[in-house]
Amino acid sequence: MAADTSIAPADQADAGYSIERRTVLQGIGATIAAATLPAASIMTRSDRVEAAASDPVKLGFIEDFSGNLSVYGLQKLHAAQLAVKEINDGKTLKGGPVGAGGMGAEGSFAGKPPIIGITGTTLPVVNDGGSKDRKDVVFAEDEDVLVDSGEKGILGREVQMISPDGQSNNALWQQLARRLIQQDKVDVLVAGFASAEREAIRPIVDQAKQLYFYTNQYEGGVADANTFCTGPVCEQQVIPGVSYMVEKFGPRGYTIAADYNFGQLTAAWTKAFAPLVGGQIIGEEFIPLSVSEFSTVISRIQQAKPDWVMTLLVGQNQHNYYPQAAAAGLRLPMVSTVNMAQGYEHRRFKPPSLAGMHNAIQYQMEVPTNRNRAFVSRWMKMFPNDQYIGEMAQNTYFTIHLYAKAVRLAGTTDQQRVKKALEAGWTIEAPEGAVFLEPGTHHCAHYIRLAVCDENHNVSFPRSWPSIEPWWLQRLGVNLIKHPEYKQYVPDEDPYFAMFAKNAPKKS
Amino acid sequence: MDAIGFAANIVYQFLTNASFLLLAAIGLVVILGMMNIINLAHGELMMMGAYTATISTHHGIPFPLAVLLAFFLVGIFGAVLERLIIRRFYGRELGALVVTWGISLIMGQGTLLLFGPFMPSIGIPGGSFALGSHSFATYWIALICISGLLIGALWWTYHNTRFGLMSRATMQKSAMAEALGVNTDRIYMLTFALGAGLAGISGALLAPTASISPLMGQQFVAPAFITVVVGGGANVLAGAVGSSLLLSLVKTPVGLILGAFLGTVALLLTALIVIRLMPNGISAYLQRFTERRVGA
Repeated sequence: MAADTSIAPADQADAGYSIERRTVLQGIGATIAAATLPAASIMTRSDRVEAAASDPVKLGFIEDFSGNLSVYGLQKLHAAQLAVKEINDGKTLKGGPVGAGGMGAEGSFAGKPPIIGITGTTLPVVNDGGSKDRKDVVFAEDEDVLVDSGEKGILGREVQMISPDGQSNNALWQQLARRLIQQDKVDVLVAGFASAEREAIRPIVDQAKQLYFYTNQYEGGVADANTFCTGPVCEQQVIPGVSYMVEKFGPRGYTIAADYNFGQLTAAWTKAFAPLVGGQIIGEEFIPLSVSEFSTVISRIQQAKPDWVMTLLVGQNQHNYYPQAAAAGLRLPMVSTVNMAQGYEHRRFKPPSLAGMHNAIQYQMEVPTNRNRAFVSRWMKMFPNDQYIGEMAQNTYFTIHLYAKAVRLAGTTDQQRVKKALEAGWTIEAPEGAVFLEPGTHHCAHYIRLAVCDENHNVSFPRSWPSIEPWWLQRLGVNLIKHPEYKQYVPDEDPYFAMFAKNAPKKS
Repeated sequence: MDAIGFAANIVYQFLTNASFLLLAAIGLVVILGMMNIINLAHGELMMMGAYTATISTHHGIPFPLAVLLAFFLVGIFGAVLERLIIRRFYGRELGALVVTWGISLIMGQGTLLLFGPFMPSIGIPGGSFALGSHSFATYWIALICISGLLIGALWWTYHNTRFGLMSRATMQKSAMAEALGVNTDRIYMLTFALGAGLAGISGALLAPTASISPLMGQQFVAPAFITVVVGGGANVLAGAVGSSLLLSLVKTPVGLILGAFLGTVALLLTALIVIRLMPNGISAYLQRFTERRVGA
């Protein structure tokens, strides 16, 4: 079957090009129109949550509402909208510059953790764990942590959120960051999901000395006097998760990670720390973000025969690993710092794709505390069609409330003064528990829970660490109050990593 | 016992990779290979098939029927597209490239506006079975068979039916075919609709293995174009089969030993070398080879 190159009769085909002045002018006009079209679409795309009042407090918010990372961005947008609305309505979260810790008392609880499902917007307890015959210290639990702030807005001024769409495109992120900082002159920038996006805009933030909150969990190491990272980091997630897996399933682990800075650095952490808790990473594979077909990866995992798999998969393309692995009969337990709690794969894929998934995270919608149930019902009242409230959405929520409290303490929105106010040693009562923002490292101590997903995709929390500090930057000697810095540390710069790998206990 | 599992695994990986390439390319084989329209909306046609299958399965229609529904819906959509837009670009390849790119943007963003950024996917039907220490998904075995059947059905249509005869005549010399009474306008429309429908079928078949999102078609565009171009235009079906087997033959061992990323790199390098050595594709080279041997 040969194809004739001019498939239609010859008179329909174009016969060469003749350049005339009219054609040239038309071409120039079309080119100018085409070039301005993207700029026009950016300018009309931004959402304004509150109408402009007299001198409002401007909150710049960039996330991905479309593209590969939109499954995370939309949750964070709703979290920000909820927080801004609560602030403008005169509410705030409990907490203050009071240091870390909470009240404990002795209590009884069940030997097995309760299993939480999700029905519509309620969190029913599917299995309450049996008789309550264990005694231990329990933390005092608040019914709700949302209290009156005493004023509408911040310092009497309304909060206005400017939230353009980053479209999962790093170049666009840089344009939007520049626009928000230089043109809109936002008082605070809350932005970033992927570490690549954060690192793309951090130089712009530093140039302008813009106050910037990065609310996502990430690989750790950002020591930047302008940046406050309120998400958990590797020492709070990788180490508890890996030590639990080694204890329960065995020492041999296999890592599959997204092939960019977050995946590579977290995999380096996992590889370096596994020997310290008696484990060993027997193989690693780095997968580009655009890959969605995993039969080769699954086959290599089966050949390596690990005891558990560490999955650091990011983006909708890479999430296809879970149904494909389940269909291929791969039934190994998995641990992750990003999957399930952030992208709610256990709600998007049919059971049992995520059976045996373990997450060491600070928040997931199924957290069975009263303050969280109150938070979930507030959220679902404002966004009844939302499918899930993920880890990063909760972070965004309490971070914006924390900013409001810091501005009230500083008495002004001047960014340098607010940065100093944020270094006052804040505890904020978030839906996850008490979160402490450490002054020197600009990172947060979190309440970490180990979440396990069963074959019906219901979640239980068999273990908790009520407060894990972000100690890595402290060990590196970072004190942004005494010595301001503007960089990100990587594991290679920490001599302890290599030291411990050599001294680690030998286990086969 | 494990040697059997290991060997089976290699064969399984090879056939899976080949059938993935073939399924991604089959819609484009008809449109680019036969009609010579550079269809940049191919990914979005597959996305449309995937969405059709997903939505109908969520509403209770059994999966095989949903796949057939995708074929007809996307085929009709292709016929409409051809009538309204594509027919003005026959012979103007660059114009067709730009207009199909515009169509792909409209389809992608339109889906985003209509259905939101993602949709819960359907579970992968079937279970798995184990041989030695390796386990395999029965769904992929089914897909391997179905891709072979689709190529066979396409071959049969083009060589054993009246429509196939008229279609081949129109593609070779349309003026002559028209002079002999073939309604070439209808043939173009039906061929484009067939290509679109095939893209819809492959999108529907691959839907359980993928995330359902408006831009999901993008992941298939590059493999499809590479497979079709490496296959060549002399005999599009044989070329597509040959190129998917050859590319998979390179990708599978490299992927198994060095990792999936380097497997893809090897596939792209192979495509580069093949195009350099055989610019008109594998099928053109094979055709010349057989002609020389037969003495024609």
